[in-house]
Amino acid sequence: KMQRDISSYAIAPSVKVKLLNAGFLSAADLCDLRPLQLSKEACISQEEAVEVLQAVRCESGQERAAAGRLTALELLGREQELGTIVTFCSALDMALGGGMPVGKTTEVCGAPGVGKTQLCIQLSVDAQIPVCFGGLGGKSLYIDTEGSFLVQRAVDLAQAAVDHCGLLAEDSEQQEALKGFTVETILSNLFLVRCHDYVELLAETYLLPDFLAQHPGVRLVVIDSIAFSFRHDFEDLSQRTRLLNGLAQRLIQMATNHNVAVILTNQMTTKVWSGQSKLVPALGESWGHAATQRLILHWEGTHRYCTSTPLHGWSLEGSLPATTIICPCQGFCLALDNVTSKIDIYQTFEKLPDFHMHWVRNSLGRPPTVIKITCRLL
Amino acid sequence: MVVLRDGMCPGLSEELVVALRAADITTGTWVLINLFTLVNLASRCGNALLAIRRVLLAQHTAFPVSGADLYEDLLSSTAILSTGNPSLDKLLDSGLYTGELTELAGGPGSGKTQVCFGVAVNISYQLKQSVIYVDSTGGLSASRLLQMLQAKSCNIEEQMEALQRIQVFPVFDIFSLLGCLHHFRCVGLQQASAGGGSVKAVIVDSVSAVISPILGGKQNEGMSMMTQVAGLLKTIAKDFNVAVLVTNTVTRDGNGQLKAGLGQTWSHVPRIRILLQRLERPGSTCSSVRTATLAKSSRQPCHLKEEFDLQCWGRSEEQLYGMSGKRKHTEPS
Repeated sequence: KMQRDISSYAIAPSVKVKLLNAGFLSAADLCDLRPLQLSKEACISQEEAVEVLQAVRCESGQERAAAGRLTALELLGREQELGTIVTFCSALDMALGGGMPVGKTTEVCGAPGVGKTQLCIQLSVDAQIPVCFGGLGGKSLYIDTEGSFLVQRAVDLAQAAVDHCGLLAEDSEQQEALKGFTVETILSNLFLVRCHDYVELLAETYLLPDFLAQHPGVRLVVIDSIAFSFRHDFEDLSQRTRLLNGLAQRLIQMATNHNVAVILTNQMTTKVWSGQSKLVPALGESWGHAATQRLILHWEGTHRYCTSTPLHGWSLEGSLPATTIICPCQGFCLALDNVTSKIDIYQTFEKLPDFHMHWVRNSLGRPPTVIKITCRLL
Repeated sequence: MVVLRDGMCPGLSEELVVALRAADITTGTWVLINLFTLVNLASRCGNALLAIRRVLLAQHTAFPVSGADLYEDLLSSTAILSTGNPSLDKLLDSGLYTGELTELAGGPGSGKTQVCFGVAVNISYQLKQSVIYVDSTGGLSASRLLQMLQAKSCNIEEQMEALQRIQVFPVFDIFSLLGCLHHFRCVGLQQASAGGGSVKAVIVDSVSAVISPILGGKQNEGMSMMTQVAGLLKTIAKDFNVAVLVTNTVTRDGNGQLKAGLGQTWSHVPRIRILLQRLERPGSTCSSVRTATLAKSSRQPCHLKEEFDLQCWGRSEEQLYGMSGKRKHTEPS
C-alpha cells in the first residue's frame, strides 16, 4: 500500500536524482534498508542516507498528516480562545470583528501617510495589554524594512496604554497586573529587527519559526513593509511572484503553528486599465490571495475609511451603527446582538461625553455576554 | 518498477539476484521487457527466470473491465450534491458530481472561499454527510461556518453536529499536501475523517497557494509534483466516490481575458471549471453579488453565466433541494 513516489518527499533534488538512478522509485523500496546499504547502493553519503530514511519512514509520514486535523467544532473553540488584538480605534475594531485576528495573516494597504506604521506600532503595544484587561498579555516582534519605526512614538503610545489601563483598574487582580505593565516592560517586550533588502527579509522569515519557539510569549509579528523591499530592483517579476507566494505560505504556517497574529503592510500603486486609472494594492494580483484578510485604508475628506475583504459577517446584521457609540480612537467597542440591551445602553450613554467599555467575547453558541461596562469622564 | 530482491517471488534466490546484477539487471521492468536477452541468459540461470517473469506479470498487470460493468457501477455509485445555491446548481447541472474534480477559479475577493464554506455547510447540515476540508491558506473561519449554520437552524445541537461533520486538515506547503493526500488514499477517507458518517466531498482551498511557489524558474520538480497532486485528487475522487472541489487563482491571457492559473498542464485536470468575478456595478463597492461563468464542462455548453449572492448561504431558504442521485435504487449509498 505504500506506493508513494520518492519524488513526493521533501528530499534534496540532487539526492533524489541519485536514488532514482539507482532504481529506487517508491517508498516501499526503501522501507527495509539500513543507512549503510542505502548509501552504498545509491552512491550518497551516510548522512544523506540517514536523512532520506527519516523522511520516508513508513508510518510517521501518514501520522504527521493526520496530526494537525481537527473538526470545525474544535476549530471554533480554538478561534475563540485565541482572541484578537484591539487597535484602540473602535470603528476599526468593529469592522474587524473585535480586532486583529490571532492565528491569521492580515494585510494593511494604504497610500503614504494614511497611518499604516502608526497602526502597527499601536498594535505592538496593544498585544501586551494584560489578560485581565481583555488583552493577550503577549510580546511583539516588529520587522522594519523602511526604517520608519520611531521609538519616541512607541513610548508615547505605551504611556497612553498604561494610563488607559490605570483608569480602568478596579479589582486587586488588575492592580497587580498594572505593576507589571509599565512603559519599560512594554518596550522591553517589543523585539525590533531591521531588514535592509529582500534577501534579509526572506532570511528573517526562515529564522522566525526558531525565534518563536524560543520566545513562546510572542503574540504579534509585524512586517512593515513587505512592499518596500520587493518593489525596487526586481527584474524578474515571475521570480518575485514565486518568492512572495512562498513567503505568504510560510507566514500563514507560522501564524497557525505558533498562534501569532501576522500583520503585513503594503503600499498602493496605480493601475491603468482601458483608459481608467485606479489605486490598487502593490505587488500584483496574485499577492491579493496571500493574506487571510486585507484592509485598505484610504482618505475621504478628513476621515479615514477602511474597507476589508472578506466582508466580516459579524458587522452586517447584529451590531450597532458605527456613529452611535464611538469615542474615536480611544476606547474599546461594544457589539451586542441582544436588541433589548441595545436600547438600555443608548439611554445610559447618551448623557455622558466620554466613556470606556470593555470588549465583548462571543462565547460558543450562547448570546454574547458583556464582561464589563465602566463609564468614566476623562 | 520494483528493485529485484531475494525472496520477492518464489524462485528468486540470492544467487540469482547476484547473477542478474552481474548482467546489469536490477529491476523487474527489465525482466518483463527484454524477453529476447532473457532467453540468452536462461541457459545460464535456468528456467527460474521465465517462471519469475510469469509471476511478475501476474502480480502487476491491470485487469480489463467491460464498458457495461463500468456503466452499471457509475449509475449505482454517483451522487449529485447540491451546493445550496440554485444559480450555482444550474451552472453545475444540478450540483457537484461525485467521482469528479470541479474547480473554482477567481481573483482575490471573488468569493471562492465563501462558496467552499457554503458547499461544506450545505453538505454537512442539509445532506447530513461528512466533508473533508483541506485548508492551505488559513482562510477557514469556523465562526463564519457557525454563522451560516445559525441562519439555517436555531437548534444548537444540530449546529454543533453539523460542525463536527466537517474535518479540517491544515497544510501549508506542497509536501504536506502530498503527505495528506497519500494518507487519505492509504487509510481511506472514513478512517481519515474519523467523524462517523460517510465522506461525500473533499474541498481543497486553495491548490494554487501551495503549487505556485514551486513552478517555474530553475526549479524542475514543480511540474512533476503538480501532476502528482492531480493524479492523487482524481484517484481519491474515483476510488472513494467523493466530489472533489478545488480553488485556483486567475491570470490574464494575451487578450486580457481571464483564465485559470497554474498553466496549461493543470487546465486539463478538472472536469468542470467555474470562473468567479465581482460585478462592476457603479455605486456598490461592498456588494456581495458575484457572477459565475462556466469555463469548462463535459455536460453543458460553455460560457453560461449566472449571477448569485454570496450571502444566500447565510440566509435560510425554503427551497433547498437535497441530495439527488442518478441511480436505480432510492436509498442513499
